[in-house]
Amino acid sequence: MTGMAVTIGDLKLRGPVLAASGTFGYGTEVPLLERRALGAMVSKGIFLRPRRGTAPPRIVETPSGMLNAIGLQGPGADALIRDYAPLWADWDFPVLVNINGESASEYGELAARLDGVPGISGFEINISCPNVEQGGLYFGNDPRAAAAVTEAVRKRTTLPVWVKLTPMVSDIGVIARAVESAGADALCAINTLVGMSIDLNAGRPRLSFRTGGLSGPAIRPLAVYLAHQAARAVNIPVIGIGGIARAEDALEFLVAGCAAVQVGTATFVNPRAIADVHDGIAAYLKAKGLGSPADLPRHLPKD
Amino acid sequence: MERGWGGEARLLVFLVDARIAGKRRVAREMWVLAMDAPEIAASVRAGQFVNLGWTPGPLLRRPFSVYRVDDDRIEIVLKAVGAGTAQLLDMDRGDRVSCLGPLGRGFDLGAGPRSIVLVSGGLGVAPMPLAAREATALGMRVTWVHGARSREELCTESGGDEVIWATDDGSQGLAGTAVAAAPDADLVLACGPNPMLAAAADRWPDALVAVETYMGCGTGVCLGCAVPLKRGGYDRACKEGPVYRAADIDWTALPAHLPYAVTA
Ligand SMILES: Cc1cc2nc3c(=O)[nH]c(=O)nc-3n(C[C@H](O)[C@H](O)[C@H](O)COP(=O)(O)OP(=O)(O)OC[C@H]3O[C@@H](n4cnc5c(N)ncnc54)[C@H](O)[C@@H]3O)c2cc1C
Ligand SMILES: Cc1cc2nc3c(=O)[nH]c(=O)nc-3n(C[C@H](O)[C@H](O)[C@H](O)COP(=O)(O)O)c2cc1C
Ligand code: FES
Repeated sequence: MTGMAVTIGDLKLRGPVLAASGTFGYGTEVPLLERRALGAMVSKGIFLRPRRGTAPPRIVETPSGMLNAIGLQGPGADALIRDYAPLWADWDFPVLVNINGESASEYGELAARLDGVPGISGFEINISCPNVEQGGLYFGNDPRAAAAVTEAVRKRTTLPVWVKLTPMVSDIGVIARAVESAGADALCAINTLVGMSIDLNAGRPRLSFRTGGLSGPAIRPLAVYLAHQAARAVNIPVIGIGGIARAEDALEFLVAGCAAVQVGTATFVNPRAIADVHDGIAAYLKAKGLGSPADLPRHLPKD
Repeated sequence: MERGWGGEARLLVFLVDARIAGKRRVAREMWVLAMDAPEIAASVRAGQFVNLGWTPGPLLRRPFSVYRVDDDRIEIVLKAVGAGTAQLLDMDRGDRVSCLGPLGRGFDLGAGPRSIVLVSGGLGVAPMPLAAREATALGMRVTWVHGARSREELCTESGGDEVIWATDDGSQGLAGTAVAAAPDADLVLACGPNPMLAAAADRWPDALVAVETYMGCGTGVCLGCAVPLKRGGYDRACKEGPVYRAADIDWTALPAHLPYAVTA
């Protein structure tokens, strides 16, 4: 008998395929979803206060991928608690909230606001957004800043804390170890890469924000590599993200050392992507005579 | 209406593996593609769109207004403005296209108006045949004003009680834009390039206009299709739109260069 359940820290998920932040809204919008296939959902990233987002154009298609500069448009914590958490409380899979801030203390404050709200089962800390306090650096590429944010959140909640890593670093293992030591329960790898596309007619960038986050199949080999590097560096589970559209893509991440995966951009293309990936993994496990995703080989050679 | 699993009431959306059933030319470089999509044909309203995907094709789906409906078939009108539309036009009868829809909110014609004017420029004809049909069914008197750069580029398929043509070069109908050529009416609908819609907004603040934006998902999750609003902030063309009250949009902040209806 093949079972699809996986465990991430203290959180038991009925399957290894999760919906990635920013590509699934608040979970109420996606049509034709087969919810049985969804292990968990990570909601669109929010800040403590409402944010307007960037001016259009916000997205551009690129070879096998897309650039987005949404600017973390969102309703803020109070509206999230009022409008969405009560719905999530009735759902049969956990919802984690992707949290953002301009300082470590703001992340902590947001986690404290959301802690204990029925319907919220955990946090995914997004440390890839521009950092005002640190003078324009990213929290995500400075191990001390990344650890400080993780610690600030860890202190203010007893819920699972996942930290979503940026690929824009020279050594992802260093950041991974820093946030593990600061109390993260799991890592998510990776967020989008920064990219740019130029409109030659207009002689300027296609995105109003100039740069955007690259996602989709174009980033998958890099994402598999970075998730693998992160998994080699830590003892906590790593959730693989980046360009997954089919079961084979997800299986690459699992064999590279991940405990679960998130599917993002692919749901724009195929509203049934999550179910397709889930069912394909189940079929693969069955064909190989494996009992669960945890029985897959893990390619994690130690240095 | 279906109860969504989020507890939210929502319109039904279908994913149809649609067969291309026909293709005809309606103006210079402008084509109508027909595809078999019975569920969508049965439920689509004027101003709603479908998101099309195909293999091999671009990564993201491409949004197209539903042009006409005929039994189990839906039609779209298009020009090759980029790689994706060029691929679509290369397809043959029998080829398959993945068709997601109907999406967005269409024109709400209400019950009040007795006369309606449909103003379209270039590819902005796209939502008008369905609008003419719905308005006629509601007992309205329908005037359709359609403009293009020249006679060759003018799609002359039309509907309603009265038709007015306009061309920039005067080669057919009135010389000038469709907005200038249109009479007033109880209700005005407009579709065309965003700058044309901005001009329509100046003349008819209450007009209902269908705008064009870049779209990622077409279903309301990515926030890529932001429409800047006069009252501040953005909403989603694919969910709250693509039809808006003209005066509600901040036209200075809406990108004007998109190719939906390159002319007019
Ligand atoms: C609600 C809605 C309804 C539409 N209805 C029609 C229709 O009925 N007929 C029709 O011909 N066109 C319609 N369009 C526009 C059509 O979707 C674009 O022209 C098409 O996506 C271009 O694809 P492409 O691959 O040929 O272009 P690309 O090669 O990708 O690019 C060519 C140009 O197309 C534009 N473009 C690219 N991606 C998008 C996108 N996701 N959304 C909008 N523009 C884009 C850009 O300006 C770009 O410069 C509609 C758009 C929207 C939002
Ligand atoms: C439109 C869009 C919005 C996104 N918004 C967020 C966000 O709010 N927070 C976040 O941590 N990641 C966000 N992401 C990143 C995705 O969660 C994911 O890490 C990335 O897209 C790579 O996965 P994919 O290739 O499967 O899309 C966003 C991605 C896209 C395409
Ligand atoms: S296209 Fe994704 S929200 Fe509108």
